[in-house]
Amino acid sequence: MIMGRDWKFYAQLGLTIVLCLFIMIPVVMSALAGVTVNVFKGLSSGLTLRWIFEVWDLYAASIVRSLGISIACLLVTLVAGVPLAYVLVRRPGRLTRLFEELLTLPVAIPGLALALALLITYGGFGQYRMSWLFILTGHVLFTLPFMVRSVAAVMAAMDMKTLEEGAASLGAGFWRRFFGVIVPNAKPGILAGALMVVTLSIGEFNLTWMLHTPLTKTLPVGLADAYASMRLEIGSAYTLIFFVLIVPLLIAMQAFADTAKRPPKRDDTAEDTI
Amino acid sequence: MTTQIKLHDCAKTFADGTRALAPFDLEITGGETVVLLGPSGCGKTTILRMIAGLEFPDAGGKITFDGDDVTRQSIEKRRVGMVFQSYALFPNMSVAQNVAYGLKVHGVGRDERDARVTAMLEMMHIDMLADRAIDQLSGGQRQRVALARAIAVQPRVLLLDEPLTALDAKLRVRLRTEINGLLRKLGITAVYVTHDQEEAMALGDRIVVMQKGKIAQIGTPREIYRKPQSPFVADFVGAANRLDGQMHDGRLHIGERVFDAVDAFDPRHGDIIDQGPVELYFRADGLSTCEAGDADFTGRVEAVSYLGERLRLTVSGIGSMPVIVDTHPDDVISAGTPVHCRVNADRLTVFPAVAVNS
Repeated sequence: MIMGRDWKFYAQLGLTIVLCLFIMIPVVMSALAGVTVNVFKGLSSGLTLRWIFEVWDLYAASIVRSLGISIACLLVTLVAGVPLAYVLVRRPGRLTRLFEELLTLPVAIPGLALALALLITYGGFGQYRMSWLFILTGHVLFTLPFMVRSVAAVMAAMDMKTLEEGAASLGAGFWRRFFGVIVPNAKPGILAGALMVVTLSIGEFNLTWMLHTPLTKTLPVGLADAYASMRLEIGSAYTLIFFVLIVPLLIAMQAFADTAKRPPKRDDTAEDTI
Repeated sequence: MTTQIKLHDCAKTFADGTRALAPFDLEITGGETVVLLGPSGCGKTTILRMIAGLEFPDAGGKITFDGDDVTRQSIEKRRVGMVFQSYALFPNMSVAQNVAYGLKVHGVGRDERDARVTAMLEMMHIDMLADRAIDQLSGGQRQRVALARAIAVQPRVLLLDEPLTALDAKLRVRLRTEINGLLRKLGITAVYVTHDQEEAMALGDRIVVMQKGKIAQIGTPREIYRKPQSPFVADFVGAANRLDGQMHDGRLHIGERVFDAVDAFDPRHGDIIDQGPVELYFRADGLSTCEAGDADFTGRVEAVSYLGERLRLTVSGIGSMPVIVDTHPDDVISAGTPVHCRVNADRLTVFPAVAVNS
């Protein structure tokens, strides 16, 4: 294998690198812009953390609110989504099938339309309309199907019926079975769903942009605001903060997905000799 | 732990209108092992699930444990131990935690719980696996854990639903022997569902043969094997050879041949069959190969299988269907050659030919 790789290999490698750069360079440029003194003069103008601090001063409330909404959204989708997934898997039928389709509808419908519907229906309830709970409602509608799907997929793969029958034969009532056997074994799905819900909620813009008020801005809405009305450096610094928040979450999500997918490890036992 | 179980007038119709079980009565003596045997879809598992409390009989049915009416009691309250074909072990718990689960649910204190778990694991020879995760176990090990878990709570009855079906043949025989020893040692009432005739014979004090939602026959393994009461039971317990015959004045005619000494009675009525067409069911020992002079029939060897302790021939030309005949393993017989056979009339089970069940 002295010749080894021919020109085709190098052509493919080159193409791959070019494509990667095409995607990666804007990310790097954007991040750099956030710490550059003057983006129009370029890096020669020097590096600074000034913009970051400025963003924090201006938008800390939006960022914290976003985190709060995403956690609240997670709690609601957990409490509603896990039992919902259980019912969908345990009692398959036409009705549950139909319900599952309905549940997925908010994902397919444009966020703007969903927001409009919420505004038309609940716009008159002043206190509710003005509070962050209004945004939470939109986020829950949008993220619930992701939680349900993710949990249901794991539940469908684990033969819940027999597990429950086994637990019941040992005297365990419904709640004990649910929390002691079903939920722990659905954990990979719940974790994957949870990370999905949190990241979707933090990044959600469509719906939120329609639903927010000046006092209930979220992180992405703030970002749009920053880009539209302030120096490019501030918008870029904002993006940098967003990255710092979201990238560890994405990495965690990937790690959990990997744990769930890994084939069961098996010690080298004496196999079926006993 | 020797609970007597009675099922009276129990039938099962599913929500979609399918009749899974025709009304039946079944009594299981305390400490007895009863095996429900039959092909898939015969209703054997439904009976087991009724005893467990996972299915309920149609109105009018009644189930009692030691005289207590448990008909409408849910499985959680019945104190039954269940062992499933798919093990149903909790993957989120270790081996020891699985066995301890039922004890915890029943509120057994920590010290006693630990002691009992250890004793159970030792009894099943899996004490060294106590801290293993379930997905680190082989199939045989899993079924041992499932048995330990079911027995740990000292159930009133042990219910086993095809527990060995998922295992390979060699292990199946080994675990079967062990389960047999366990059931005798514990003296617990047990109901065991299987479609495997050999397993049923090895484990059952009595066998209930099921056919299409009905009990076809109840008897000891010996009775089921030697005196099947219907062609279905005969066929199911291994008498798969069939010949047609005629009874004339108490003598059996097969083709041109006439046989004197046969027990020919209608199993359902107990009457002697004197006249009329009959069906003969028998195992490989119902025919044996012989010299041309002694032969009742001459057939043609279709296939030969060497089974070690015997040579198994598939012979055509004797009845309407090929029959199985065993011969000495050292015989040299090849497919396509003619073979002479003698009938061992005492090995034949005779049924009237107009049998209602197939």
